[in-house]
Amino acid sequence: MVRHGIKDKVAIIGCESTKYGELWDKSQKDLLFESATGACEDAGITKDEIDAFWLGVYYYFTGLSGTLLEDTLRVHGKPVTRTENYCASGMDAFRNACSAVASGAYDVAMACGVEKILDEGGSGLPGFKIFGHPVLPLPSAPAQFCFLATRCFHEFGWTREDLARVAVKNHENGYYHPKSHFKFKVSLEQALAAPMIADPLGRYDCCAVSDGSAALILTTPELAESYAHADDYVLVKANSISVFTDTPWYWPSFEFTSAPATVTAAKMAYKEAEITDPRKQIDLAEVHDCFTITELVNCQDLQFCDRGKAPEEVKKGTFNWDGETAVNPSGGLKSFGHPIGSTGCRMIQEVTKQLQGRAEGRQVPNAKIGLAHNLGGAFAVCSVTVLSQRD
Amino acid sequence: MTIGITSYGAYLPRYLLPRKLVSDAWDFPQVPGTKAFASADEDSLTMAVEAGLDCLAGIDPKSIDGLFFASTTQVYTEKESAAFIAVILDLRDDIITIDFTDSLRAGTTAVCRAVDSIKANKDIKRILVISSDTRKPEPSTFWEFGFADGASALLISDEETVPLSIEDYYSISANVTGPWKRMDKDKFIRTFEVKMDAKFYTESLVNVMSELMKRNNLTPEDIGGAAYSYSDPRAFGKIAKILKFPQGAAQNGMFLQVGDLGTAMPFMLLIAALRRPKPDAKIILAGYGDGADAILLQVQDKKALRDLGKTRMGVLKHQKSMITIKNYNKWIDDKKLLEKDRYIRKSSAVTLWRETPSVYQMKGIKCKNCGAVQYPMMFHSCYECRADNQFEIVKLALKGTIYTYTLDHLVGGNYYDTPVPRCVIDLDGGGRVLVNMSEIEKPEENVEIGMRVELTFRKQHEGGEFHNYYWKCRPERGRP
Amino acid sequence: MVKKGIADRVAIIGCDMTKYGELWDKNQYDLLNEACNLAFDDAGVKKDDIDASWLGVFYYFTGLSGALLEDVLRMDGKPVTRTENYCASGMDAFRNASFAVASGAYDVVLACGVEKLMDEGSSGLPGFKIFGHPVLPIPSAPAMFSMAATKAFHEWGWTKEDLARVAVKNHENGAHHPKAHFRRAISIDDAMKAPMIADPLGRFDCCAMSDGAAALVLTRVEDAPSYAHNDDYIVVKANAISCYTNTPWYWPSFDFTHFPATVKAGESAYKEAGITNPREQIDLAEVHDCFTITELINDQDLRFCERGKAPEELKNGTFNWDGETAVNPSGGLKSFGHPIGSTGCRMLTEVAKQLQGRAEGRQVPDAKIGLAHNLGGAFCTCSVSILAKNDVKI
Repeated sequence: MVRHGIKDKVAIIGCESTKYGELWDKSQKDLLFESATGACEDAGITKDEIDAFWLGVYYYFTGLSGTLLEDTLRVHGKPVTRTENYCASGMDAFRNACSAVASGAYDVAMACGVEKILDEGGSGLPGFKIFGHPVLPLPSAPAQFCFLATRCFHEFGWTREDLARVAVKNHENGYYHPKSHFKFKVSLEQALAAPMIADPLGRYDCCAVSDGSAALILTTPELAESYAHADDYVLVKANSISVFTDTPWYWPSFEFTSAPATVTAAKMAYKEAEITDPRKQIDLAEVHDCFTITELVNCQDLQFCDRGKAPEEVKKGTFNWDGETAVNPSGGLKSFGHPIGSTGCRMIQEVTKQLQGRAEGRQVPNAKIGLAHNLGGAFAVCSVTVLSQRD
Repeated sequence: MTIGITSYGAYLPRYLLPRKLVSDAWDFPQVPGTKAFASADEDSLTMAVEAGLDCLAGIDPKSIDGLFFASTTQVYTEKESAAFIAVILDLRDDIITIDFTDSLRAGTTAVCRAVDSIKANKDIKRILVISSDTRKPEPSTFWEFGFADGASALLISDEETVPLSIEDYYSISANVTGPWKRMDKDKFIRTFEVKMDAKFYTESLVNVMSELMKRNNLTPEDIGGAAYSYSDPRAFGKIAKILKFPQGAAQNGMFLQVGDLGTAMPFMLLIAALRRPKPDAKIILAGYGDGADAILLQVQDKKALRDLGKTRMGVLKHQKSMITIKNYNKWIDDKKLLEKDRYIRKSSAVTLWRETPSVYQMKGIKCKNCGAVQYPMMFHSCYECRADNQFEIVKLALKGTIYTYTLDHLVGGNYYDTPVPRCVIDLDGGGRVLVNMSEIEKPEENVEIGMRVELTFRKQHEGGEFHNYYWKCRPERGRP
Repeated sequence: MVKKGIADRVAIIGCDMTKYGELWDKNQYDLLNEACNLAFDDAGVKKDDIDASWLGVFYYFTGLSGALLEDVLRMDGKPVTRTENYCASGMDAFRNASFAVASGAYDVVLACGVEKLMDEGSSGLPGFKIFGHPVLPIPSAPAMFSMAATKAFHEWGWTKEDLARVAVKNHENGAHHPKAHFRRAISIDDAMKAPMIADPLGRFDCCAMSDGAAALVLTRVEDAPSYAHNDDYIVVKANAISCYTNTPWYWPSFDFTHFPATVKAGESAYKEAGITNPREQIDLAEVHDCFTITELINDQDLRFCERGKAPEELKNGTFNWDGETAVNPSGGLKSFGHPIGSTGCRMLTEVAKQLQGRAEGRQVPDAKIGLAHNLGGAFCTCSVSILAKNDVKI
């Protein structure tokens, strides 16, 4: 599979994200402009020094093709590729940008993502009126992850309280992040008392609908020495994507207690990055917590703990911002919401700043190696990126 | 070779409306009993499929040479429902299909014409006749007490021996003063004068049934059972008196609990009569509507009839799983008597047509390499062993066990207080499907992993401006 | 822009396409399954030899994310990226696949594209019910290009007959291609008399709706000879993408008689490949002819002739299949229709087979260097790829 990979061939020399939230008065162009120019400033370059762009956008109504970026930045004719891979759209933009830089085709590239979900109203992910087969049912996003929750409760004896603890942790972290959507702490009781969205997931088990954008600038480690973050650029250790079926409910032997896409993507990434003990070696991870159950299952699939044990570890504090493996120190999707195309880039940007010791929220102490993870569709697509400090 | 009825099937919806709720809603005099009514996702076509499946249990659908569908509540006025039902039941395409409509005796008329077709054509030996109705009564009229929903089916065949033979039939035609329902103008049934309706009903049925007996040299004492449609128990009783049928011969047991099933009534009454068939009994099956048909049947094989009763849901098994509702508004809502805006979505007719075996016929594929059964059929590579293009087509069971599920409040892009239960089901014998669940009360308490469910054919939505149908699941009602 | 590029590092070792047409009884799974397996056979590989895939799909209803390909082939969780870039979606899949191979991340990769337009009915490109701004007008595809036609008529005195000649040439070529949707030649008269779609573009000026898929297998040049085509593999000389504004009607200085995206992508590709005289050096080109006017302007923007002169050159036979620079020897979008996500891959497949001397339709004589070009959206996104026989030095 990954024969050689691109480990140590790509460096992140600048990054930025907008504030996330219900940004009714900003358009996708406003958001992209903000994050893209912010990233350029961070890198100490002008937009004209960028050779090629990759843009992660999920919804057709946010924008089609790479021209959305052109109409934002006026890069006048430079190449822009739009990648779409469900919730991994943003991280896949990053992955392809890395390939291009590692191949030597371009010197400096930008990977960014954006989504304007609120343009379709705020009640849940839109599109279900038009996506999918005429009659074969397409459950809502919460409903799909509910299948996991129901099965995990049945098999591991997990409870709603176990789920709620994730919400409590992430909102606690998000409270300290200036750019998060939600800045409140939530108690276990509040989380348990919230109205149902898709049994057993209640309102606090689900990340909210929001808008936002994030961008990263990449180049080779050799060239990285000549930009603003010459001393502390971040190295890309691994990029992986893994794709499984879009309709897991037709997979006869699927167990609904783990996402094969995460398991496979993690294995590929750890191999490329030469990580042998993820729990010990990964200092922090921004993990896809679209729903509380997702974070728990992900931690197991990413090998941060044994199967069935994630709730226990959450309880013990293993995944706290200052725990053994900090999971979602930024506050995760729970605090930021999930403007789909942008989330992967936001996570990578977050991990980058953590490794550079300039996290905007909770700073994970001694962060040397970080991981970003997305899981999208009906747990069909997973992206994992591993980054480290330059030495 | 004899022509007769070799199988039967029926379908009664899950819900019963107590007539007391109607009386209370409008301050009408109290009327006893209940009546069956269909869920919001049912119509004449979906119920016909259920009755058809019941009738064909254990019978090879490819052996059927025709399908006649009788209903006064056709779902399309241009687009043949019989052809569609035939596809869902997996019949061949070189068969005869006809929609019989516009009259409440369409069912019995269809039986007569089925016999004619079999007699006239040596290639036609078996015709499935299904009758079904979901008539909407105008609220606050007396019809609200009677109109009910249901479907029933009879298999008319030409065989060496048959359990119930068709001996003779006789029809008259009449242009009466009512009731009627104009196309494009009337939402509900109207009539000129209810007394005249009763007069025509009585006269026509007396006419055809007495003529039938006369032609066959029968006296009233010879009649073991009489299954003829009715909406007014009194008029029904009057006919039995005029014709001097023996005590218990006229089938009047269903109105109290089930109501007036319209076109589906005569077959349903016959099926009820066959619960305890007397050997050699002569039975009259008759239908009324702008004239009348009377059909003379003779019990030939009592045991065969009893066996049918064991292997079909028929009337009794459905009745066992019917529940009485407590809220009049559910009746109004389910019947869409108040038009409520559901979400609109788009749809692709060609996709549905192309996927007929998966979507309508619940066929799946079995991997020849590892044996895994999969659904739907669009896959080229096996889920389990990833072998390419090594599939054979298999028919999936219509019942199974819940593997996991969710109660989804977000439906079609909107939030609803009442969730839609969506269930991942492992079907008996293989194949895993995802379908929505219907007819479940208190889903938060009653749906669980390991629950047994049956697949049922239902309306899904009106995307693309046509009726979109697919399967849902329901708690077991006992389908064999 | 492209400092070093990936010229001479990536090879096409296998490729193929399905028949194109109104394929009502096939869905996107069937089409992708067919195209990919044909490409695997051509390359002499099995699906498990593929390390990663790129999939070009434009419409959300054809499929979302890379999972569409996974549900077709079952590749055990390997990476699949969906690229969307209007009509350049397929070629951009190829371009990104090329970077991944050149970077050393993977050894053997798959680039493919598919679209199921006919599932939404057949009267023009679907989506306009839901794409775009609430009220700012979004013209239909023909309408957008007709604006260019109107301006070209005005500026250079081009006529409807000039446009018709493109349709005649392409249908002539398509009549010889076994996989084309339309396989009947037409006359100038047929084209001129056809009903209007968006003045001055009539029915024969517009490519039709159709379904189809195409796929290519790539590896590094060093490893290429060990596959089925041995030393006859095709080398990628350049991959370029260029994006301009999606709303050119708001660009004050835009002249509507050239497509800046084509000009820029062409420049970038020629530079990467080392091409200095496109007209002489490019033997054949599959050029985006969604509308007849588009082909004429692209010919100019790709520097096959001077501005304003395309109709003349066409008349002289320069762009015929056996002319100086064969344009659309396959029959183009006019004959194949335009299942958007697949077209770029189909063109690359066509060019590769031409260079290998095994074209399925008209074989361009002595084909050594070929070009594939797509132009999408409101002429805003362009992709240009240049392929060559592996013994060609530029």
